[in-house]
This record gives sequence, structure tokens and C-alpha cells, in this order.
Amino acid sequence: MEKFKLKVFRYDPTKDPEPYYKTYELPIEKGMTVLSALFKAKEEQDPSISFRYNCRAAICGSCAMRINGHATLACKVQITHLLEKYNTDTIVVEPIGNVKPLKDLIYDMDWLVDKLKKVKPWFIPKEPPPPDGKEYRQDPYDHHKIDFASDCILCASCMSDCNALKVNKDYLGPMVLAKAYRFAADSRDGAKRDRLEAVLKDLNLEWCVRCWECTTRCPKEVQPYENIIRLRIMAAEEGYKTPGEIHAEIFEKDIYKRGLLNEMLLPMRQEGVIGAVKRAPFGIRMMLKGKVNFADFLGGHKVKRIEEVRKIYEKAKEKKKYVKIKLPQIMGVVYEDKRKNRKRANFTEKLNETANK
Amino acid sequence: MAELRYAFYTGCSAKGVAPELYNSTKLVAEKLGMELIELEAATCCGAGAVQEKDEFLALTINARNIALAEELGLDLLTICNTCTVMLRETKFKLDNDPELKEAVNEVLREAGLEYKGTSEITHFLWEVIDGVGLDRIREMVVKPLSEFKIAPFYGCHIIRPQYLIGYEDPDNPKSIEMLIEALGGKATDHEARLACCGFHSFWSAEEKVTLKLTALDAESAKEEKADFMVTPCPLCHTQLDAMQPEAESRIGVKIGMPVLHLPQMIGLALGIPPKELGLDKHVVSTEEILSKV
Ligand code: SF4
Ligand code: SF4
Ligand code: FES
Repeated sequence: MEKFKLKVFRYDPTKDPEPYYKTYELPIEKGMTVLSALFKAKEEQDPSISFRYNCRAAICGSCAMRINGHATLACKVQITHLLEKYNTDTIVVEPIGNVKPLKDLIYDMDWLVDKLKKVKPWFIPKEPPPPDGKEYRQDPYDHHKIDFASDCILCASCMSDCNALKVNKDYLGPMVLAKAYRFAADSRDGAKRDRLEAVLKDLNLEWCVRCWECTTRCPKEVQPYENIIRLRIMAAEEGYKTPGEIHAEIFEKDIYKRGLLNEMLLPMRQEGVIGAVKRAPFGIRMMLKGKVNFADFLGGHKVKRIEEVRKIYEKAKEKKKYVKIKLPQIMGVVYEDKRKNRKRANFTEKLNETANK
Repeated sequence: MAELRYAFYTGCSAKGVAPELYNSTKLVAEKLGMELIELEAATCCGAGAVQEKDEFLALTINARNIALAEELGLDLLTICNTCTVMLRETKFKLDNDPELKEAVNEVLREAGLEYKGTSEITHFLWEVIDGVGLDRIREMVVKPLSEFKIAPFYGCHIIRPQYLIGYEDPDNPKSIEMLIEALGGKATDHEARLACCGFHSFWSAEEKVTLKLTALDAESAKEEKADFMVTPCPLCHTQLDAMQPEAESRIGVKIGMPVLHLPQMIGLALGIPPKELGLDKHVVSTEEILSKV
């Protein structure tokens, strides 16, 4: 029977000075998940491998790990798919990223819980329940707003691969911000302002680099980044003047005035005179390299048909409050280029071809 | 051969801080037989900033941008990752929500426009691979990049999220590596290949997040002894090249990693003079590259 290698991150702080990797050879079985492979290795080869699991059905969120570099649920992904996807004979299993490993694949969860507590991840009712003994009610659109965010199973796959968290552990992170959104956006919740204050502390909400890793990693359909966008819209609507909000305003004004962003005047407008002084070395560097368009310092040129842009801008602003924008369904959706006869790149095949040449 | 005509959406950067991207794209496209019809009436895509303040405005503005390509009956071609994902996001939402599409069209009609959903959004990288084709590229190479180890830096928005991009596996993309090989170069497999440049949180978390990411990325290419990094995104480029001195001071280490725009790299292999490609316009010196071409 065909075999594959399961390369597992091993670490026992009571006896290992450093983490190391140990490789187990296992037969490739149809339908075998990474979690079942770990069980097989544990039962037949090495009872000391430690990992968390519970439901084995992508529900409980216990088994998140980094598999070939990307976080996901070990009980959700199949060995045969992975071998094909990475064009390899080895599956590398590590604890999720951005956390402290405790033993093998088990990591310290306190860190996540402490972060969650900061946004009070529970319902704080706006008013007492309806007197008729029924539950709090909600209209369908209000429910839709929090529908996806409510599906989070706290697996922390998103936290593992978040780029902002990678370089700054004080960032609240996608799981926590999605949770903050889930309650702040709940029409029955009474603590929206507090929640916004909590996520805006040290501007935390705006550390997100829009890398979209969180949404890509999420095994459910939570869409953490999309929720972060909505939290930011909420903060803008509540009147918080954050750098992100000022930045967005500059973009809006430039679209109205000239169509394109005036990058040369951006530092001055974003941060005032102090900003302009702070950014002077950058500006001079760009000028010396001949990257700067001098007309931009005087306001720059306009795109064609700017009157049309302005009309559309004004109308969109008027209409905005009547439009209910929905979050899209994205579970398992891969964007499909609808052009007929579109050549689709089969990269594995092409790579092998290149290698053989 | 299919007709390689596109409605060319430049975005703000190529018209602002990255003129060398604009120029090298035009030169390379011409060599490769791609016809780019510039959308001179197109506006900024919102870059995620407008999207985080007024989503409906962002959708409407981008529906107009796409409608401009539809007027020409062409697919829209971008040269920026973020433009790609923002325009695709608009297209995805409008094509999947008839009510929203109608609301946007009510606004557009006031200016005599309509969003139909007939034009696709594509990126220069993808058209070079699928439109022109790697075999054709291989034939056209006159100065193979065989002296170079090149570090591909994809940039987030050309691989993620899948529901808006979907061109290749976001966990293991290969398009840039394949292009590098077709041009005769060798791609490095560096740690930060799929990482983020940090650009989008610059104004809120420059010290706390952005510059640390930028530094990690450039260092990671250096560790693999890359001669230069290459990226299909001008925002990544600004961050990795123009901001590299700031990133170096942030971590107190000199890096000095040159960064090329994707069309500049192709142009070198096609024999276009480096000066015409604007290689002298970068902040991190490209002289060592020039000496090897
Ligand atoms: S989009 Fe923001 S929150 Fe999500 S992974 Fe990237 S930096 Fe983290
Ligand atoms: S948002 Fe998704 S990836 Fe993140 S913890 Fe929740 S379920 Fe897991
Ligand atoms: S074991 Fe419950 S999600 Fe994998």
C-alpha cells in the first residue's frame, strides 16, 4: 500500500531543550483526515504524541493546527487532498501560530481567553425581555448582520495566520474582533459604545492590515475581516475620528474632486504639518528618484468625465441609507472567471512539465 | 491566438508614486502583443479605505469603473492587487444580489450609465500567463534571467480571499514562480512568499505593525540570497522599496533588498533597456542587478 510521511512538531518542555520534528510513515487511506492520521500514529507507533480534539466533525474547534504551513481543523482536511494540493509526500503538522506551545500540538489558550474578555463576549441586553414571556425579537436584516459572526467556534485558526498578530501580540486579532462585532452589531445589545471603546483602545481595530488571511483560514463562514470592516463602519458612524476614518475621508474627497488619490499631499492632509515634516525624508527621496509628479502638489489632474463621477457620488450618498447590503455567502466559494474558453492554469501539471524540460 | 485587448485600469499608484510601473507595463504589453485601452475616466477603487466608511459609495464607484470597461466591450485589466480585489468584490456582490445591483444601477442611470456584469476583472500577471502564454514568453526571451535568484512576493490581494480571487490555490500559488522559470530565472522559496507587506495599516500602526512586516519580508528574501524581490502590486512595491529605509530603522538592521515590479522583470528578459523600464526610479539601488543583466 502507498505510504505518506506525517511530520509532527514535538515538544515537551519538561525534557526537551528545543522543539523538534518526528516523522511517522503511514499508509494512505481513502477519506483519512489529518486527525485520524494522528490517531493512527499515536495508537500504532508513538503513544506520547499529544493533541486536542473532541467532536471529530468540525464543530467543536479543538483540533486547529498548522498543516503544511496553514491553519485549519485537523478533522476537516483529508490526507489525499493535501498530498495533491502541495504536490508532496509529506504532511507537516505544527501547533497553530502566534501562540505558546505547551506540549506537542497543544498550545496555551489563556492568552486567547484574556483577549476575548476585553470585548465582553456576552449579550448585554438593551432593555428587559418582552413582558409576554417571549424571547427578544429581531427583524431578518438585523439578524443577517450577525448571522455569520455567530457561527464562530473559537478554533483560533484565524488568529494563527493573522499577519498583524504575527508582529504584534497586543493586537486583539480577528477572532476577538469578530466576536466584538457579533455583539456590537446585535440590535438587542445595549453596550455597543463600550465595545467600540474596547476595540479602539490604542486604535487596535485599525492595526488590521487587510491581508484577508482570517477569512481564508476560517473553517466556518464567519468572515472575520468582513466583520472588521463593519466594525470600522460602525465606529465611523458613531463619530470616532480615527486615522483610518480621516484616511477614508481623504479618499472620498479625492474621488469627488479629481477621481484619483493625490498621494503627494496625503501626509500633510493625514497628519497635518507635523506629518508633513515627519514624512519629508520620504518625499525628498521620491522627488530625487523622479517618482513625483509635480502637478500633484498643485492638486493634480482630473480624470475624464469628472462631472459624471460627482453626480454619481452625490446620488450614492443620498441613497445610501435606504440600501441594505448583505454579507455574501462564501462557504466553499471559489471565484469563477466567467469568460468562455478561459484557459485555466493547472499549476501542478505545468510545474512538472517545466521541471522535466 | 485570442485577441489580447483589454480595458486598462491604471489605479492611483501607477499614476502617482509608481510611474515606472505604468511605463514598464505599457512597454512590456506592446512587446507581448497585448493592446491596452486606458480607461481615462476611471476613478480610484477606494483601496479598502472608502469600503470601511461608506460601502455603498465604494460599490457604486467601482460599478461605474467596471461599466466603463463594459462600454468598450472589453475585460478590465488591472496592475494592482488591491484594485483587483476591490473591483472583484463589487462584481461579486452585484452579480449575486439583484436588489443591490438594481440600487446601484438606479444611481448610475442618473449619469446615463449601467452596470451589466459583462466584463471580467483580470490582472496583468494572469493575462501574461493565460493570454500570452508561457510558451510564447519562453520563445521571446532574449536575455534569460539565468544569473538571478528572484524572490516572488505575491501580495495578499492576488491570492486571497478565494471567493474573490480564485485564480490559484491561495495556500500554494505557483504563477509567479512559473513566470520566473519561463524567463530563465530561479525562484527562491522564502518564508515571506505569501506574507503581507503591511501597507494597509500604515497610518494607524506604522511602528506597531506595518514596518515590522515590511522588514520581515525583505529580510526573508535576503536570507535566501535573492538578488531581488518581484511583486505584481504597486502598494507592496511602495512599502517594500520606498519604505525600506524606514523599515530598516525600525529594526535597526540594514537590508538593502531591491524590489522590481512584475513588468520590469519581464521587460529585462525581453531585452527592453533597464532605463526605459525605470529601474533607476527605485529607492533601493538596482545597480547590482544592472551589472548582471
Ligand atoms: S485581515 Fe486583518 S485581522 Fe484578518 S488576518 Fe489580516 S491582519 Fe489579521
Ligand atoms: S472566526 Fe473562524 S477561524 Fe476564527 S476562531 Fe472563529 S471559527 Fe475559528
Ligand atoms: S475535533 Fe472538533 S473541530 Fe476537529
